[in-house]
Order: sequence, then structure tokens, then C-alpha cells
Amino acid sequence: MQEVLQIAGAAKRFGGVHALIDANLTLYAGEIHALLGENGAGKSTLLKSLAGVHQLDAGSIRLFGRDFNVSGTRGSQDQGIAVIYQEPSLFPDLTLAENVFVGRQLGKGLKVDWREMNRRAGELFVRLGVPLDPSRRARGLSIADQQIVEIAKALSLNAKVIVMDEPTAALSGSETERLFGVARSLRNEGAALVFVSHRLDEVMELCHRVTVLRDGATVATAAISEVDIDQIVKWMVGREVSELFPKVASNIGETILKVEGLSREGQFDDISFDVKSGEIVGVAGLVGSGRSEVVRAIFGVDKYDSGSVEFLGEKLKRNSPGEAMQRGIAFVPEDRRQQGLFMPISILKNISITMLKTLSNFGLVSRSQELAEGEEWSRKLQIKFNSINDSVDRLSGGNQQKVVLAKWLSTRPRLLIIDEPTRGIDVGTKSEVHRFISEQASRGLGILMISSELPEVLGMADKVLVMREGRLVGRFSAKDATPENVIAAASGAN
Amino acid sequence: MRKLISIREFPIFVVFVLFYLTAGLGNHQIFTTSGLHDILFGSAIVALLAVAETLIIVMKHIDLSIGSVIGFSSYLIGKNASEGHGLFFCMSIGVGLGLLVGALNGLLVAYFRLPSLVVTLGTLYLVRGYFSQVVGGDFINSGQVPKLLTSMATHTFVKVPLLFIVSLIVALIVGLYMRNMRSGRDLYAIGSNHSAALLAGINVAHRTFWAFTAAGGIAGFAGAVLLARYGQAQANSGLGIELNVVAACVVGGVAIAGGVGTVYGAIIGAILLQTIVLALGALGVSQFWQGVVNGALLIAAISLDKILSMRSVRTQIMRKVQHD
Repeated sequence: MQEVLQIAGAAKRFGGVHALIDANLTLYAGEIHALLGENGAGKSTLLKSLAGVHQLDAGSIRLFGRDFNVSGTRGSQDQGIAVIYQEPSLFPDLTLAENVFVGRQLGKGLKVDWREMNRRAGELFVRLGVPLDPSRRARGLSIADQQIVEIAKALSLNAKVIVMDEPTAALSGSETERLFGVARSLRNEGAALVFVSHRLDEVMELCHRVTVLRDGATVATAAISEVDIDQIVKWMVGREVSELFPKVASNIGETILKVEGLSREGQFDDISFDVKSGEIVGVAGLVGSGRSEVVRAIFGVDKYDSGSVEFLGEKLKRNSPGEAMQRGIAFVPEDRRQQGLFMPISILKNISITMLKTLSNFGLVSRSQELAEGEEWSRKLQIKFNSINDSVDRLSGGNQQKVVLAKWLSTRPRLLIIDEPTRGIDVGTKSEVHRFISEQASRGLGILMISSELPEVLGMADKVLVMREGRLVGRFSAKDATPENVIAAASGAN
Repeated sequence: MRKLISIREFPIFVVFVLFYLTAGLGNHQIFTTSGLHDILFGSAIVALLAVAETLIIVMKHIDLSIGSVIGFSSYLIGKNASEGHGLFFCMSIGVGLGLLVGALNGLLVAYFRLPSLVVTLGTLYLVRGYFSQVVGGDFINSGQVPKLLTSMATHTFVKVPLLFIVSLIVALIVGLYMRNMRSGRDLYAIGSNHSAALLAGINVAHRTFWAFTAAGGIAGFAGAVLLARYGQAQANSGLGIELNVVAACVVGGVAIAGGVGTVYGAIIGAILLQTIVLALGALGVSQFWQGVVNGALLIAAISLDKILSMRSVRTQIMRKVQHD
């Protein structure tokens, strides 16, 4: 078999975070290669280095035996590498033909030849077995069809290496089948495909070989025929979880949140569970399994169709975040830059914004009280800053997350809902956030925590819920929640 | 026929025809060739600037500085002509000013990543301020305007005012560029999905810079048209015209959200706005009400656009469902 691509000893650092330490990957012509790893294992960084978005700090990439050293996505495309991102990146206002040939439109001299472009794009779509109209605009195209356009683009580039980053995450069963058909025919024509997925059953069905990344390094490469899912999961997890998460003992008390039969069409279906005071409930599952949608509905940011939410023994009004807050629920959303913080505003103002009512007399905010509260919370959370009046966007990701926590905890809630508490935070600050959350639970706060990082869920939670495709498919006590169990439930591998 | 209806500029063209007919019933003057002449003559300048603005809005940017550029350029052209310089030299000064301001806008927007709204608002004030300082109470009168320019204002070709034909020629060139050349297509790609444009290897900063520079150049060139039309130039020449230009583009289907629209649409938009001004004037409606009508039209145009785009997405989805 001909070796197409070889990545050896790849390393990449972002600030203090080592995204890649020693990643290795070899691809042969005519194979579909699975690249696996937990969130944060370094898959995206590796793919983006291949796409020319990032430059490696160390290590080598060789394409057909020659050094591959390009800066910029155009260079990578010219060398025959096509990356299809999880979120397809089409131009909604341009025609499909132009989307296929964007940046290198066909034509003679300077003039664009529309007819030729439509013809060639049409041929590619037919070859892929999906006869889309090349002259229509991309706006409104389904995700599956958008991927077909991206694949057509890869074909038009004559790509020898085609990378697909979680292509099936948003596809239905029949669409997935169609995509697999396309992938197999590309393989038969001699391309090397990299397939990134969290659905291990799909990996077993489609791929020939697998490479597993963990903490930025390649831990194993093997032929699929020689391994099973259990082995792959062990490679992916591979560490003792308990060491990382010193959990503070907590007295679990009475039920404070009771969710029953919560459903919303197309998002989640028949979700029931409860959270007790002092308890940390972890929600695991793949990105897109409906976890964030459920907690947003509970807090009232989004509507739900049926079911009920009971808080402290009383029903909670639907679609009213104001009431949820007043009754004692705090919600720390997933995307802190967009939803959790007021960016150019000072740290102090960000912390105090939820307390303005209690801090003000006759509608005027007392500056000294505001400052006292703000300083108290920054001390509790060990937020590191030069001045509390600095703008929050000057803080690191970890300290920003602490500000968000301070902002919500200062309202003295009974229940904290937190979505991806430590995404994009460095390891040191991570454990500080974990310790703090755990301490709060030991003082009787109920915590509902979504996390895509398995060790975090397993290390922190007293009870683990697993969601898949909008349904609650697993419930484990802390004792029974092993990485194998949770991954199996989340990826539907049984 | 079906293809004609699906063209983006079609609805606005229909609105123009309807308005023209209704207004004509109230005042037959508009139906005469001189009525039509007045409309085209009056819209030539906004149409020309709208062509420049289309280059920018399609990229999801905006250029407000053109109002000051066109005014200052018209004064510089007149001033240099009155000092005995040739027309080519004077025009070079005017276009050169436009290119310079455009390049400054482009530099700040493309390479320093500053928001174009603020940058061009800044250069709008900056150029106007410097212009007023230079002019003081000076005044270019019709005697000082080059003869070729003044005669262009009075002549027609097949009853179409020459000034409008100048705008049309520029529109045709820019239109062909935007439709048929790779770098022109890149402008649509940038406005449609900025991050995807970067991933596709398009040199976004480079394109943005040159588009702003070109738009500035066209605005500088438009200075000559402004001078020709009014036969004079002074400190407030072209004052406030930039917003009429943006309105003409939006009414003509150039989406402020970027990625869609053509110079032809922008020109129809300019003609429609001018028709409204003249028609309401001829019907004896006060100037203030004309503003109200123009404003309402602007809002109607973007609402219509929203409704149409939602419907087209819905029909595509429906079609797909039937397909499956």
C-alpha cells in the first residue's frame, strides 16, 4: 500500500496549553482511517495543522514522501488536502457551483466561465449520487446536502487526503448511509480518508484502521479488525479519574428539582430526573445530544412542549428565566463569551449585575456595598486580576469562568445549572473551579452539570445521566459510572 | 418569464413602474420625455455613487465617506480648471483624492480590522472638515467650470441625459467585474460568510483594501459629474448625499447583510428614489412628506426582502420534502 501522509511527533502550544505533544498519524492510499479521542485530546488541532490553519511548533508532516510545509489554507488545498469541518462552511448567497469552485473559479484568463462551472459541478454531484442543482443558492440546503457540496469541492481539488470532522453528527440514518456510500467510493478511487467521529459503532462499520489521541499524544494505531470497542474506549480514557478530582464529602438532602416527562419536538423527548440539595448531577453525552437544550428549557430560556419542572415543591413557570432566577436557580451557560459575560465591562460590574436590586437603595446602587460584595466573591474564588475595575476581556478563560460563577453564586441560589464548566480552561484553573463547585455542593447547593469531558463528569458527579439523540439513555450512580459504561451509552455502542 | 421574476431586482423594478404610472395619472407632465429626462438627470449622481457603494455593501461593509469625497473632488476639479489646468489634470486630482481617501479607509478596515461604519464616518467628517477649511467662502461658479463638463450636462443621447449615460457606463464596467471576474466574485464570498472566505484561501484583507480604494476612486470621479450637473461647487457640495446612496442600494436589493445585490439594482433604486421626489413634488406634496415616503419605502424594501428570502427558503425545504 502506498503511504500518502505521515505525521510524526507533532507538537503545538497555545499560550500555556499544550494542545499537541507527540501526535503521530500515517495514512495509506485507499483507506478510511478513524481518528478518535475525547474532547480536548487534540484532534481539531491536528486537523487544523493539516488544513494550514495552524503551524506546528515541532514535528513533521510528509505528503507523498515530501515535506509538507505550507502556511495558509490555500497552500494546503493546492497540495491535495481537503478538510470538511463539522460545521460546513458554505456561502449561503452563492450558487452551489460557485461554492464548489470558490476562490479558484473556472474560466479563461480573468473571466469566469459560469456555464463550465455549472457543468463541472453538476457532474461532481452526479458522481456523488446526489444530483443537486448547481445553479441554486446554498441558503436553505440541508446539512447532509451541504456536506455533499463540501465533498464535491474536495473532489474538484483532486484531493488525495480528505478529512471529515464528525460528518455524521447532524445526519439522519439514511443520510449517514448515503455519506458512507460516498466515502467508500472515494476510497475505492484511491483517496485516503480521515474520519473523526464519536460514534464508535460507525467507526467499526466504516473504517479500516484507527488512531487514538489522548492528551495531545497518539496512544495507539491499530487495524479495526484487530480491536473491539472496549479496547478503543480504554485507549481513549486511559487514566485513573479519581486522582484528578478530590471531591469534598457532601450530605445529600431533600429533592429540590424534579423534572418530569419534559419534551420538545425535534430536540429532546420524555426527560425525567431530579436533583437533591448537596448533590452534583452530571449530564454526559455527545455534542448535539440535546443536553444544553434540556437545561435551557428548565431554566426557561427556551420553551418546552410538554412535561413539568418542579422546584422546591412548586411548579416552575414555563419560559420565564426571570422567575427561575427569583426562585433561586442560577444558570451558567456554555458559551461564556457570548452568553455569560458583558465583555468590555469591568470585573466588578460583571459580578454585581445580578445583585443590583439588593445592592440599591431607592434605585441608586451603593458603590461601597457593590465593591465589598465584589471583593468578597473574588477572594472566595481566587480570581486573579490587577484591579477589579479592569475589563473582563483582559482575564484568562479560567478567570473569566470564575467571574461568571461569582456573578451567579452571589445571588445565593439553591440550584446551580452549569453547562461545560471548564471548557477551554487550563489544567490548574480547572481543578480550582472543580474544588469550588464541590465545596458549594457540600454547603447544600444542588448542582446540575453538563460536561463533554468524561473525567470531569465521573470525578465530580454523585449521579451521572447520559443523553443520546434527545433521550435519556443511561443513569448511573457514582459507583457504577465507569468510562466504559458511559461511553457505551452515549455512543449507542451496545 | 419565470426566470425574470426570480431575478432579485425584479420586484423593485415593478414598484418603480407602478409608482411611475400612478404618479403619471396625477400629473401628466411626468409621462413626457422631459419628465423621464428629469428623473434620469436627477438620479445620475446618486446612481454613480451607488455603484461604488455596492462594491462595499456586498462585502458587508459600508462607506459613508463618499459624500465628502464627491464634494471636495468637485471643488478641486473646478478650482484647478479655473486656474487654467487641463481637464485631464483636474480629473486626475479629483480621482486621486478619492483613491487616497478610499485607500485610507481600506487600510484601516482591512488591515487594522476597524469597523467600516466608524472608519468611514471618521473620514466623512475629516474630509469635509478639511474641505471646508480649504474652501472657506470660496465659490466655483459656472464660468469657471470646464466647458466640456457644462455641455455634458445639457446634452443627451437618444434623449437620455449624457450624465446618466456616464453613470451607466461605470455601472456596466463594475457590474461585469463583479459578475465575471474572480476577484469580483470574492467580494460576494467575503460578504456572504467571512470565516468561510478565509478558510477557502481568499485573501480577504487584500480584496477589502482594493474595493475601498476603488469605491473612493469612483466617488472622486463622481465629483466631475456633480460639478457638471450644478455648474458650481462650494463648501457644502455633496453634503449628506451618502445616506441617499445607501438608501438607493438597499431599496435596489443590495442586502446590508452582505453577499447579494448588483449595481443594476442599486441604479434602479436610485432612479426610484428620484422618481418619488419628483412625482411628489409635481403633485404638490411638501418636501417633508417626501422624506416620510422615502423612509417608509426604505423600511418596506428591507421588510419585503426578509419576507421573500424566508419564502424562498421555505419553498426549497418543501421541495426537498416532496423529493424525499
